[in-house]
Amino acid sequence: MTYGILSFGAYLPPLRITRQAILAAVGWAVPGLRGLAAGERTVANWDEDSITLAVEAGRDCLAGIDVVPPHVALASTTLPFADRSNSGVVADALNLSTATSTEDLAGSRRAASSALARLAHGGQTTLLLAADCRETKPGSTQEMQYGHGAAALLVGEGAPMAVFLSSSSRHEDLVDQYRAADADFDYSLEERWVREEGYLKIVPEVIEEAAARAGVSLSEIDHVVLHAGVDTARALAKRLNIEAKRFADPLGAKVGDIGAAHPLLMLAKVLETAGVGERILVVGFGQGADAVLLQTTEKLGALRAGRGPTHYLEHHRVTENYTQFLSLRGQIAIDFGIRSERDNRTALSAFYRKRRDINSMLGGRCRVCNTLQFPRSLVCVKCAASDSQDGESLSGLTGRVKSFTEDWLAYTPSPPYIYGNVEFPDGANVMLEFTDFTAGQVKVGDNVRLVFRIKDFDTKRNFRRYFWKPAPLLG
Amino acid sequence: MAKGIKDRVAIIGMGCSRFGERWDCGPEELIVEAFTEALADAKIDREQIEMAWLGLFFQEQSAGKSALPLSMSLRLPNIPVTRVENLCATGTEALRGAVYAVAAGACDIALAVGVEKLKDTGYGGLPERTKGSFDDLWLPNATAPGAFAQLASAYTAKHGCDPKDLKRAMAHISYKSHQNGALNPKAHLQKTITEDQALNAPMIAYPLGLYDCCGVSDGAACAIVTSVENARAMGYKDMVTVKAMQLAPSNGLEMSNTAWDGSYLLTTRIAAQRAYKEAGITDPVAQIDMTEVHDCFSVTELVVMEDLGLSVEGGAIKDVLDGKFDRDGQVPCQIDGGLKCFGHPIGASGLRMAYEMYLQLLGRAGKRQLNAPSLGLTHNLGGHPFRNVASVSIFGLHSA
Repeated sequence: MTYGILSFGAYLPPLRITRQAILAAVGWAVPGLRGLAAGERTVANWDEDSITLAVEAGRDCLAGIDVVPPHVALASTTLPFADRSNSGVVADALNLSTATSTEDLAGSRRAASSALARLAHGGQTTLLLAADCRETKPGSTQEMQYGHGAAALLVGEGAPMAVFLSSSSRHEDLVDQYRAADADFDYSLEERWVREEGYLKIVPEVIEEAAARAGVSLSEIDHVVLHAGVDTARALAKRLNIEAKRFADPLGAKVGDIGAAHPLLMLAKVLETAGVGERILVVGFGQGADAVLLQTTEKLGALRAGRGPTHYLEHHRVTENYTQFLSLRGQIAIDFGIRSERDNRTALSAFYRKRRDINSMLGGRCRVCNTLQFPRSLVCVKCAASDSQDGESLSGLTGRVKSFTEDWLAYTPSPPYIYGNVEFPDGANVMLEFTDFTAGQVKVGDNVRLVFRIKDFDTKRNFRRYFWKPAPLLG
Repeated sequence: MAKGIKDRVAIIGMGCSRFGERWDCGPEELIVEAFTEALADAKIDREQIEMAWLGLFFQEQSAGKSALPLSMSLRLPNIPVTRVENLCATGTEALRGAVYAVAAGACDIALAVGVEKLKDTGYGGLPERTKGSFDDLWLPNATAPGAFAQLASAYTAKHGCDPKDLKRAMAHISYKSHQNGALNPKAHLQKTITEDQALNAPMIAYPLGLYDCCGVSDGAACAIVTSVENARAMGYKDMVTVKAMQLAPSNGLEMSNTAWDGSYLLTTRIAAQRAYKEAGITDPVAQIDMTEVHDCFSVTELVVMEDLGLSVEGGAIKDVLDGKFDRDGQVPCQIDGGLKCFGHPIGASGLRMAYEMYLQLLGRAGKRQLNAPSLGLTHNLGGHPFRNVASVSIFGLHSA
């Protein structure tokens, strides 16, 4: 048994908006954005937040892996709940047992890189999830530069694809940007100051210390994962005398900066193609810096198959509709009519009784007739046997659309409201709300996968409830 | 051995308010309007009514809970009143309560009233409501058109038919109901439409357009029933009697199991077979003269024609387009305009359907009178295709 990285995963929401579309909408007011108006950024759908993004990255990370993590850590600066274990919801959605310990890590864009630096020293097997879903002010540079997404690492004892060589961390109260606890948006300071005083002074310290601790010279580092833009990476390469091409693609053209999750996303992208025995330096930045030095093993090739950001980069749908983008992210209030006033109060005692049904999509399989059903019930829907069902999650199953509609009357933040009956193996049928489909896209007989999403917002009580929804299969 | 309800109970009086957006009325006025007509029709004194059933679905939105809305609106002399609620089968449930009470001999004369006041919401469609503390956690916030629209996608997938043909048949169904509604002075919608209007209307829930959806209406309907023996003693000779009243609720199979393919209404099939047995009907197409079915949406009426055995499976599109269910067709359907045009005040609808059967059987249907019908069928479907309560009732003439 060796300690190291046992798996990785990522998730990017399929929706993209082109930066040209943003410029076309706000360029009249902020013509200076023209220089940033290339490529596209990821946009979380209205029913995605840092919890749901993290769940998808966690599923990608754990798929086909024979390890059940006893600990789940969730790093984000945009956790939807300040008091309700966000990582606990994620652990449920991943159908992990209640004996799993969970931990929310917040308060810094380095929340994930700092956790990784700590994990470099060993400890219990941990599913480290990182997600961010930062809202941006219309017309801001962040609106152009940010994206939404998540990444995951499974760290612990086993047959790792990469081992830790060393780590180093610094805290420095260089407030390059901040978001007050009660603020909606980040406040950023001048980029050149941040580059020169931050990236070019603090980051070299942690990189050099990490390299020295591992007894590795900088020229022996094959990949540098730096949470920064291309220009900053180029300046740092020059300052440290490392070839610029060793700096990993910051994914600005297709994704944008996904906050606390960004170093892990870039690492996941590097792990998709890295060679055996290569050294990877992961650097997180923000009021200090973390550097973690890794080396890949011969297990990498077998373990990485089928996971990582690439298929999410390809599985995308581009919009040029700026007001839709704003509305999906709650930045303008479209008048959706009186139906949108519906009171979505959640009976939390009822939710608690059914928490695994809802969070883990736990149905029941009848021991008498083998029929799978959701929801579970005391009496089997097919054979009427009593107390005959064993819990079984449907969340990983592929469904088949039996019937559907596109409803223009019902309220949804993304009309039309698409829902229908979906069939699953062994007799299960569930009527479900669909997500990530557009009008005209769903067909009877289509296969769908289930994703964990926000079902309803209770705007009166600042609550949100989650459930599983059919979404298009990944391409 | 149970004998069934056939020819044991007579309807001796009926009333129905004008349906529509009754901005002038609350539930109390609607109840009184329907009851006044029924009482005059039955030619009895109010004091002869011994028990009453009130059908009312959207209680918070409408008249309120319990027996009180009926007891108080009519100032009933403290007789037993039972409030029933079974989704869109509510009106029929009120009638079933009254019919069973007189059949059981619990009283001689009973009253059934169904009422709904929907148009105080401030928006179109049915009122938003919670589905219950657990269902709200996972079921879609579906509207009625969205739930029923799915019949169309499953039906075309099952029978391999062209969605355009189905849409055309749906348009004909609505066209036909508007033709009938235009002859009904109490109907909510009394204007005719063309099939093209239906085909080109704004989409509500794919593939249901505006004219594929029934009216959301205020209204009340009412029946006074007694035993056949008592009716005879009161001097009735040719009377309208109940031939069958059957109810079949879902048990969860449709919503939880793949055994149901989504293209038909399982409970309607079950209720129909039971009703035919109770009424002694062996060949519904030949024996049933007219129907009022639950045409909440055009596609519902289409699949119900098959579920009732009035079309063969997969044959409803052709039958509809051939005019089999038009007012001059083989088995006229929605002679009064149906839910589509008479309107659909939920709690009143089952009784409204019975009202049309009653008028037609007695030859009192005015401009829309059919040629001497002797047997009619009413059908309600409460809920959504995947989870519902179906009722099938049969009414006919009985000679003492």
